Amino acid sequence: MMVSPSNVTKRRRSTFTWRRRLVPYVFIAPNLFIFLTFIIWPALRGIYISFFDSMDGSQFTYVGTANYKAIFNDPTVATIARNTAIYVVFYMLISTLLSLTFAIIINQQKFARGFFRSIVFLPVMLSPIVVGLIWNDVLDRKVGPLNTLLEAIGGGSPGWLVEPKLGMISAIFVGVWVHLGFYTIILLAGLQGIDSSIFEAATMDGATRWQITRRITLPLLKPTTLIIVILSTIHGFQSFDFIYTLTGGGPLGATTLIVQYIYERAFQSPIQYGLGSAAGVILFLIIFAFTALNFLVGKRREAI
Amino acid sequence: MRKLSARASQQTWTSVSNRKPPSVGSILRTSLLIFLTLIVLIPVAWFMLSSFKDLTDLSARPPKLLPTRWATENYTEAFKMYDYVRYFSNSVIVTVVATALTLLVNSMAAFGFAKYNFRGRDGLFVLTLAMIMIPLQVILIPIYLVVSSLGMVNTYWGMIIPAAATPTGVFVIRQYMLTIPDELIESARIDGAGEFKIYARIVMPLARPALAVVAIFSVLWRWNDFLWPLLIAQDERLYTLPVALALLNGQLVVPYPVVLAMSVMSIIPVLLIFIFMQRQLIQGIAHTGLK
Repeated sequence: MMVSPSNVTKRRRSTFTWRRRLVPYVFIAPNLFIFLTFIIWPALRGIYISFFDSMDGSQFTYVGTANYKAIFNDPTVATIARNTAIYVVFYMLISTLLSLTFAIIINQQKFARGFFRSIVFLPVMLSPIVVGLIWNDVLDRKVGPLNTLLEAIGGGSPGWLVEPKLGMISAIFVGVWVHLGFYTIILLAGLQGIDSSIFEAATMDGATRWQITRRITLPLLKPTTLIIVILSTIHGFQSFDFIYTLTGGGPLGATTLIVQYIYERAFQSPIQYGLGSAAGVILFLIIFAFTALNFLVGKRREAI
Repeated sequence: MRKLSARASQQTWTSVSNRKPPSVGSILRTSLLIFLTLIVLIPVAWFMLSSFKDLTDLSARPPKLLPTRWATENYTEAFKMYDYVRYFSNSVIVTVVATALTLLVNSMAAFGFAKYNFRGRDGLFVLTLAMIMIPLQVILIPIYLVVSSLGMVNTYWGMIIPAAATPTGVFVIRQYMLTIPDELIESARIDGAGEFKIYARIVMPLARPALAVVAIFSVLWRWNDFLWPLLIAQDERLYTLPVALALLNGQLVVPYPVVLAMSVMSIIPVLLIFIFMQRQLIQGIAHTGLK
């Protein structure tokens, strides 16, 4: 008589705690399920497929590392790799330098500072597809406003979007134009994080503004700048959308970057899922290296 | 603080007049910023003017700044001859449903990670954050094959679900939920509230600022997203605005002025967000590095 009720409560309590233990897993399950289905599983499958020839998408035959060898030996891929490398390096360098410049300038600005901050940020909001169309319009060789202006001052009419070299320059410029505001905002936040008493002390000691910028601001901003370098490098490798409407990868493939190559392997004849997946794996390794670097820098930043 | 004290010290030295002539540095700075403003605004303004030009004006040499005739038919034709309404509503459906789903699954996961102790929590959290390292571009082909084997190509769900779980969203909301005191949850439990009720009725309302940031970014990203809907929406009836614009732009049968008009209309919602919510956006980026 005395034993059974306590047994009942014990059992009830144990199912209760068992259910309570399950609760957090229930909360994280939907998010985790999407990750597993649409990121982790495809990522693993991508590695697997990269060792197969998809035979125009119909069936898969194992080819070992042939796709990787093809990628490293194909002259077209070599051109795309070169395009991507040029694009990423210049995009990263120019983005970093300009965002640093504008962050420091906007931070010092007293007149209409909020307005200028909004202006630099505006392109970040626009659809990259529309941005491509906008600059396609502005950079038009014959009827674009830029060349009209250049002709008026005797600068000729360069084929911004029809000559291979100028096409790459235009793509880098537009890429910087789209994302610059994003990096500038992050750097502005970094600047706001610097203790203002340091500047006051330097001003009292008679330091000029240029000296303060060079000797104090830039060194203190170094961790944030490194993050911009890494972020812009990763973004550079992922570029595709605005180029689609700006140059479409042309002229003569001069602005075809790695992501467009991967996309075309899946949706342009001949369909080569294996080759595209191998290129994806290589792109992952590159991005992984930079993200790992990001993590290390982030850790160091916390230590400071 | 810095601004105030700097101004105070300046005033001590220039005792005669309150207005100092602007220094060379500040003139240089302001002119550089005005130059930047022109480079940002002129292309956008030019583009907007172009959308009101007819083909004759668009091919005129030298180009005209203002249209000789305001060709409003570019806009009306977008509705009459092309399915602008459909593309627009597709974009709205994908953006709204995807953002709602993102907020739901991200906040649930964030709540789980922030307010419970359970086996494997830290490992699963690191796994969640690690998803940042696998952008769509890298798994483009296998994810397309997975989605297609699930029969989700050419469906709204195919556009919405695969990218609904975001590592940054979980992170931002979790960080915010960590600041909500546990005592609040404990006392609700003592009062007999169930775990889901605690999440929905207590924690979610308190996490509103973080949810707002994630919502704005999700809306922007989904509205402008191109690559994923391009893969999934192969049937023209499912095109979102960016996909429609990119693909119609390449077709010779579609008049270029109509593409321009559609583009201008597509950026209007974004410009409204920009005007009314840029403070939250800028703070969101500043605090999280989120894009």
